[in-house]
Amino acid sequence: MSVALRTQLFLFLISLSSRMGLSRYIEDNEASDGLYSLLTLDQKRESEDFIFRRPLRCLDMLATDGYFTFVASQPQLACAAFIIAEPSEVISLELSDVNIDCSAGDFIKVFDGWVLKGEKFPSRQDHQLPLHQRYTDYCSSTAPGATSRSSQNVAMIFFRIHSPDSGFTLAVKKLHNPFPCNIMSQSPEGSFTMVMPHQRRNCSFSIIYPVEIRLTELSLGQAKSNELSPQRQVWSGCSGSGDYVELLGGNGVDTSKMFPVADLCFSLSGLAQMKIGCDNSVVRLVSSGNYINRVSFQYRLLEHHELPKTRENSLDNFCAVE
Amino acid sequence: MKLNVLMWLAALLAVFLPHPADCRPDDAPASRRPLLPRPLLLHLGEEFSLRLGGGVGSSSAAPALLSSSTTSSSSSSSSAVNRALLQLTQRLLQARAEQQEEEEGEEEEKGKRSDEPPISLDLTFHLLREVLEMARAEQIAQQADSNRRMMDAFGK
Repeated sequence: MSVALRTQLFLFLISLSSRMGLSRYIEDNEASDGLYSLLTLDQKRESEDFIFRRPLRCLDMLATDGYFTFVASQPQLACAAFIIAEPSEVISLELSDVNIDCSAGDFIKVFDGWVLKGEKFPSRQDHQLPLHQRYTDYCSSTAPGATSRSSQNVAMIFFRIHSPDSGFTLAVKKLHNPFPCNIMSQSPEGSFTMVMPHQRRNCSFSIIYPVEIRLTELSLGQAKSNELSPQRQVWSGCSGSGDYVELLGGNGVDTSKMFPVADLCFSLSGLAQMKIGCDNSVVRLVSSGNYINRVSFQYRLLEHHELPKTRENSLDNFCAVE
Repeated sequence: MKLNVLMWLAALLAVFLPHPADCRPDDAPASRRPLLPRPLLLHLGEEFSLRLGGGVGSSSAAPALLSSSTTSSSSSSSSAVNRALLQLTQRLLQARAEQQEEEEGEEEEKGKRSDEPPISLDLTFHLLREVLEMARAEQIAQQADSNRRMMDAFGK
């Protein structure tokens, strides 16, 4: 083949390949079927017929998928159901068979997060939606039975029903979330790795128990260049640098109202541990969006005798930490 | 010669033919929001320009539309309404600057009031942990039941 023809052929092939661009999307390789893919279609249909159903209580916590029906036997004026999922899941809620009287003051409101004693998790600074968009009111929304999806692994529903025998059914489904941010831990013991890939977000991992936290791995910056020289010592302020991890302790669920216990702004490979004797212990990853940040930690419940001693005659409203 | 021309034509076609802009897999249909139809947007624009002629009537139209845009659930429809509103406010600024500021102040107050959390539960952490542990126990029992059913299904 002549050189001219060869070059033209190569140019032709290159121009064809320009159609196939490089694209990135997050492929969820976890097949939701799992072992079920080995079953025949009939067997699958049999096993899918079973859906978890139970009555919903006025104060309830839901951790499973299913259908939960609330029927008021007496006027219930202040009811709430908390819903929690695994850290890497988000919650999809759907209301059906709703039989309430909105004009009589009944309401059903779905909140994207948890509200406890007026404090919200995730806090206003950590959530991407403004506060009024996190509430979905059944009585004022135009599409009845609309599905609402939470941004993190917790959600809750508030309801008030005046007349007996009114009620509704709540369908809870869990959906996979590849990069979870703002997580509430279901258990007082466990381990987790939080990854923040090139996003300017502050993510909190909240444990509503007094725990001992051990940071096993911290990588702030690109995975290749892990040679950041420690510019500041551990336990002193890091807020000057863009990316850091802070440990918070407090007595509420709002992370913006909690006290910073420690800051870490350089990558470490050894163990760093801390006992936080507070009602709520939080690991917070602050990211500027310039790097891929990753923090791995383990936590375990502090027994009563292990709780740090509070200082005598202390005026601080702060739980003890060591 | 003809082969050359054909090849170049094919190369040009390949480059300039429309191809999917997004390589992501399709989102679930539930997440697609309906677009506001174009005629409605024009209708809104006409309505605004008609109301501009009236004195007090035009200023009273703006707050109602502003409050409706905040409660609109569809983001694309609210953005279309916002575009129409932007044109309206630009015209009002030319005509009446003071009344425009008043309207904006009203809208901010309404926004602040709706930001206040209407409800909260005064639950202690102890009670919350109790309920959480009950939910965890239920989840574990449910998982065990589901495992048992799966084993039965495989056994058949």
